Amino acid sequence: MLSVLDLVGTIGGAVLGLPGLVGIAFGMMTRKPLVALVLGAAVGVLAPVLLGGSHSTDVPITTLEMAISVVIGVLAAQVGCVIRRRGATV
Amino acid sequence: MADPNNGGPVRKRGLARLWDIIWSPTSVMSVGFLLIAGFIGGVLFWGGFNWSLELTNTEEFCVSCHTMETNLGEYRETVHYNNHSGVRAICSDCHVPHEWQYKMKAKIMAVKDVYHEIAGTISTPEKYEERRLEMAAAVWKKMKASDSRECRNCHAFEYMDFTMQETRAADNHQLAIDTNMTCIDCHQGIAHDLAPGYMEEYKHVVDTLAGTAPARDGSIDVAQIKTYLGLSAD
Repeated sequence: MLSVLDLVGTIGGAVLGLPGLVGIAFGMMTRKPLVALVLGAAVGVLAPVLLGGSHSTDVPITTLEMAISVVIGVLAAQVGCVIRRRGATV
Repeated sequence: MADPNNGGPVRKRGLARLWDIIWSPTSVMSVGFLLIAGFIGGVLFWGGFNWSLELTNTEEFCVSCHTMETNLGEYRETVHYNNHSGVRAICSDCHVPHEWQYKMKAKIMAVKDVYHEIAGTISTPEKYEERRLEMAAAVWKKMKASDSRECRNCHAFEYMDFTMQETRAADNHQLAIDTNMTCIDCHQGIAHDLAPGYMEEYKHVVDTLAGTAPARDGSIDVAQIKTYLGLSAD
């Protein structure tokens, strides 16, 4: 039960953190889904490196944390890209 | 107004109309107006969100549930509540990370507390005692995995003056540094009472995180099977 909660919490933290928010913002910068994918993946990789793990205690970033961050970053960027295509003419 | 019966455009209502408005280009507002309004709206929304989040970090909020009365009483007997320096660590100082993404994770995971409050899982002292070890183990697991991150928001080996500590404390802190131990390895009952058998449970938590824990409750014990078959346990 705790591991499921842990997973849901990690996903929620990523959605409300840099991968989700900056992912959408990056996605809104382009009309091309492939470019959005690359930008989303990049922010998904960078976010845990910059903010993940625990710098004060040298706790490493886990593979799960990194994977979820990348997936959320990519999905958020795709959503941002759809917003751009739907809501802008340029 | 166009008449739909005569082939004119159908006027949508409710959410469908709102959806159309959202995705229609604006013709009455400048880009500057939208940018400034969006910025101010964003600041207000984010400020309100953060403020609400901080409200859930207060001691009053944490102990507003009936099931929190037992651990509140225990915590009030400890040095983290009352001490000579006047510094107090409240619930969120030990149980909620400071880092944004981990704070959000903790808040989302805390939804289970609301569920158990409603379900009455620990609504009586007997039920509470039955679950005490399990609840403590869940917190120990998080603390051990994060190298006692929340403890270290206030405490750090680097800032300790061992000459001002009791000899026993100074010796053990030096030992902890030398052997790479973390706060929760020794301070399991620092704010709440300990359940019988807590040392065995803590060892199981440590072994689980290290991937060397034996299986429990009749589930498959791979290490035992390997030993039986004469294979290396690794």
